[in-house]
Amino acid sequence: MTERLLDVQGLVTEFKRGSSHIRAVSDVSFHINRREVVGLVGESGCGKSVTSLSLMRLLKDTPGRISGGKVLFEGRDLVKLPEKEMRHIRGNEIAMIFQEPMTSLNPVLRIGKQLEEPLTVHLGLSRSQARERAIDLLRQVGIPRAEEVIHDYPHQLSGGMRQRVMIAIAIACKPKLLIADEPTTALDVTIQAQILELIRKLRADNDMSVLLITHDLGVVAEMCDRVIVMYAGRVVEEGTVQELFANPRHPYTKGLIQSVPKLRQKVRRLESIPGNVPDLSQMPQGCKFAPRCAYATERCHQEEPGLIAVEGSTGRKSRCWLANEQTWEERGAVTDGQAG
Amino acid sequence: MDKLVEVKGLKKSFLIQKGLGAKRYLQAVNDISFTIRRGETFSLVGESGCGKSTTGRLVNRLLTPDSGEIWFEGKDITKLSERAMRPLRKHMQMVFQDPYASLNPRMKVKDLVAEPLIIHTKLSARERDMMAAKLLEEVGLGSQHAERYVHEFSGGQRQRIGIARALSVKPKLIIADEPVSALDVSIQSQVINLLQDLQEEHGLAYLFISHDLSVVEHISDRIGVMYLGSLVETADKDTLYERPLHPYSQALLSAVPVPDPNVKRERIILSGDLPSPVNPPSGCRFHTRCPSCMEICKQRVPEFREVEPGHYVACHLYDEGAQAGGKS
Repeated sequence: MTERLLDVQGLVTEFKRGSSHIRAVSDVSFHINRREVVGLVGESGCGKSVTSLSLMRLLKDTPGRISGGKVLFEGRDLVKLPEKEMRHIRGNEIAMIFQEPMTSLNPVLRIGKQLEEPLTVHLGLSRSQARERAIDLLRQVGIPRAEEVIHDYPHQLSGGMRQRVMIAIAIACKPKLLIADEPTTALDVTIQAQILELIRKLRADNDMSVLLITHDLGVVAEMCDRVIVMYAGRVVEEGTVQELFANPRHPYTKGLIQSVPKLRQKVRRLESIPGNVPDLSQMPQGCKFAPRCAYATERCHQEEPGLIAVEGSTGRKSRCWLANEQTWEERGAVTDGQAG
Repeated sequence: MDKLVEVKGLKKSFLIQKGLGAKRYLQAVNDISFTIRRGETFSLVGESGCGKSTTGRLVNRLLTPDSGEIWFEGKDITKLSERAMRPLRKHMQMVFQDPYASLNPRMKVKDLVAEPLIIHTKLSARERDMMAAKLLEEVGLGSQHAERYVHEFSGGQRQRIGIARALSVKPKLIIADEPVSALDVSIQSQVINLLQDLQEEHGLAYLFISHDLSVVEHISDRIGVMYLGSLVETADKDTLYERPLHPYSQALLSAVPVPDPNVKRERIILSGDLPSPVNPPSGCRFHTRCPSCMEICKQRVPEFREVEPGHYVACHLYDEGAQAGGKS
């Protein structure tokens, strides 16, 4: 068995809105093995970013709080860790990069200063050692003229270069897990290709695990070993990247894959998922996807399924009553108004 | 061939620094030419800062070009005054990326949709309301939405309102600037399907501006690829995606992540970043990142030439006899 680096069990994160609590993440469980790249996929508002912030316990300045579940990192429950010890984990053992590097870099500090901080704080290097290491890190992430860039401010760099700097800061302490939250969404495709290549190379060189959070199925297909699909704050499907794309077991995953236009696909019309993502404060009863689902039955509208293991597979799960029907025909699409 | 729009040698720069010292200009669009036929979708693709949005705004004269010509239905509209332009705007409407930023939050949806009718038609308020209800239905919203405000709608629904508004005056051309980029994939496909249905129904032409090559392939008839203010290649969709000629088009297409884990492709990874349009490279603007750069590319701007019927490319690799210069 491969060793689990991170094991999330029944995570619940709630946000206070007025006098009520809204569940942004409900009962989310998944794991990441060592050296594995796991994709966390879903559309806006599905809870994928809140999940990642919860893992890092970065909800302090928000109305949100973790109200249940465990986040086991190398066996230790991060939810229960004192803030002081958590600070040691952040940046040192688990590092994170975000979509917009400009909002995560300090605009009034030079690049060098920002890179040296984790090195002096976490690794106890001296100023001159840290400077040397900082230049070395910038070279590792493919920044030309590293010894000059160190004196630049973030605004003097392009978006792609800023993301490289963020990655350099993230890998500075050789973390065991890198959480990358939409790392290439703000970048152009040719720059995205450079950054994805870089993450792949660093993962291999440093024996890191990566949790890649994205809405882009193309990025998932190219980068990930395993995929977790989220909808309305829940995990709805889990499987290896091969299985998931070849044979999605949840109607939402299937709809998502089919609605993306693909190069040289040559179809006249795109499939689409009707309707909209439900508001977190007005969740439907039963399966949260049922109102948009072509396969929904009476049961789906009444009773929410758990994550059902797919028979004859290892670790394949789907939050669908029909997870173990062999074909989509067996599940039988029903048109509106005929449900049940 | 029935041309709706013809653009010839269009140029536009923006003054970015005045006062002390030399004036500095940003060359946003540099000598581009293309045509849009009636009822077709012509797309402009390229990365941020390549000038595709500026081009869209030049075509409907929201911006005035420095030089070059714009013809609409056989009429030169390059130098028309704002007043003379107004009746023509009825025929060329615009849809923007962020419908929340482009729709007035204080107006009811029915008034937003019917507003262009006040300017361009003599319909009564009652008639306008009826038109608005009809338009909302056409874009997949109900009459129950007419009395609401924009903030009550999701991103996809807002974009539908933006489309209904553009459609209200029965335009011949819709300039759609990244209309689906801000939407989630499941919603994106709904809006793309809607745009295609409307095109079929009304014989609309689209100038579709996007950075997403998969979406562009799906929706377009012909495509122009832009890099740093210039068009580097124009061709019909199948030609461009099967046989891209310009090294930039080739790199761009190879960089698109494919949502299929079984597809393993040779990827051309371009080195470096986009140069600044304030100080663009000499010769071919792509030469600093081009994997097949030759000596001539650094000196001479390549001509935008038709290398086979309907397939234009600006690259010295395809000059007759240029290969004699050899690769450097």
